[in-house]
Amino acid sequence: MGALAYSLEQALLSLWRGRGASLLSIATITLALFVLGAFLLVTLNVQRLVGAWRGSAELSIYLQDEATPAERTAVEHLLDASPFVAAHDYVSKSQAEKRFAALFPDLAGLSGEPAGNPFPASIEVRLRSGPGTEGAVDALAGRLRAAAGVSDVRYDRRWIDRLVTLAGIVGAVGLLLVTVLSVAGALSVAIVVRLALFARRDEVEIMRLVGAPLSYIRGPFVTEGLLHGGVGALIAIGLLLAGLVAVRAEYGLAVQAALGLAPIWLLPLRLCGLVVVGGMVVGGIGGLVAAWSSR
Amino acid sequence: MDRVIETHRLSKVYRRGVYALRDVSLQIDKGEFVFLTGPSGAGKSTLLRLLLCEERPSDGRLTVSGRNLDELRPREVQAYRRTIGFVFQDFKLIPRMTVLENVSFVLRVLGLSSVQQRRRTFQVLKWVGLQHRMNAYPQDLSGGEQQRIAIARALVNDPALVLADEPTGNLDPDLSLEIMNLFREINARGTTVLVATHDRELIRQVGRRAISLDQGHVTEVM
Repeated sequence: MGALAYSLEQALLSLWRGRGASLLSIATITLALFVLGAFLLVTLNVQRLVGAWRGSAELSIYLQDEATPAERTAVEHLLDASPFVAAHDYVSKSQAEKRFAALFPDLAGLSGEPAGNPFPASIEVRLRSGPGTEGAVDALAGRLRAAAGVSDVRYDRRWIDRLVTLAGIVGAVGLLLVTVLSVAGALSVAIVVRLALFARRDEVEIMRLVGAPLSYIRGPFVTEGLLHGGVGALIAIGLLLAGLVAVRAEYGLAVQAALGLAPIWLLPLRLCGLVVVGGMVVGGIGGLVAAWSSR
Repeated sequence: MDRVIETHRLSKVYRRGVYALRDVSLQIDKGEFVFLTGPSGAGKSTLLRLLLCEERPSDGRLTVSGRNLDELRPREVQAYRRTIGFVFQDFKLIPRMTVLENVSFVLRVLGLSSVQQRRRTFQVLKWVGLQHRMNAYPQDLSGGEQQRIAIARALVNDPALVLADEPTGNLDPDLSLEIMNLFREINARGTTVLVATHDRELIRQVGRRAISLDQGHVTEVM
């Protein structure tokens, strides 16, 4: 406990004394964790979006305007016969128009063109997931396209999967970037702490000679690294929050409307905690590397 | 008599085969006041550095209170150092700490409460006659005062052995004698004292056992 209190006291003093150099390493860690946070934020929201879309209509069948009730019933029979269809809903032309007006109130006037309602009637199909779904649904989509009264079939899952793949690639690139930035962060902390150690080398030598335990000699430098990382992480989270608030204020409604998603999320508290811990680990490693040289 | 320091054929060789100490065998008993003397380069400081575990012997055996110093691990070295008091020629006080903090730091790392730290530090500062300067910084003190603070730091944890490397090297003769009187007082309380000095006049004035070293060999025991 004594060593801990001493380390914290000395680390805070050292941070204050070397605030110029400390700012540099804190900025590097902030950048690394801001990028990490941003990637986590995007990944998390994309996952949420994909989840929401997966749960909603995955197969959309657009009917021709001149499709007869018998042709629509035939299509619905085809759907009922498939074990991969969980549910289906008919959306009439007027319902589609109302939905558009609700989603895009500014553009609602456009649909009242003299030519009439431009939106096609459709059947929205929710699919069951499971092994072999994709191939079976492909075959079903092919049969539906060939059915009378059908103008187009959109199988959403394919581009959702593409979105997931893209999110995966973005995540991997992010991970690589974060790793590089984290190493840079740890190195910059190590350099700054080494500088602090160099400035206090006489003091460290005296401490060694009077028999100070190693925890008293190295502790302040490791703690200084931890503080660099922790402060950097808190600033990164603050910046993310500020950025998110700004994005939400500027584009929130448009994104919400376009994607059919509730407001964009910030990182959950647990992930924020992990980001702070991650920052402290990076800073602590830097501090430890520097402190180890103090024999 | 309990033996505090014992060396047996102790040698220290630096690079290029230069011997700082060669086959040194000596004994210092509990409660003794011993001077280590000799010209510059005789090996006095090397022996003290070995006693402080700043360096390891190249050959031979060095024990303090029965412990072989060559076998201590880093953590044990720090614990061992806390059991002895060391006074350096250049005082080695921490400039950014006050007199009180410089002295009480040793007690802090020993885990004493702040009340105990203050009480014991005040006692020892009073003993060296500098209790009124406890809030001053080392750079505000004279050389003699700084050395008295260094002695206070060496004594604050009540060590059984005090080592001093040329403690009067930077002081004038009057202050030197004053510092030696402090060491005599420490010794009178039963603490073993080993002082390295090249000042033969001072040794004569204090009148205690002296071990002479020259070119790494023990040449005379008075």
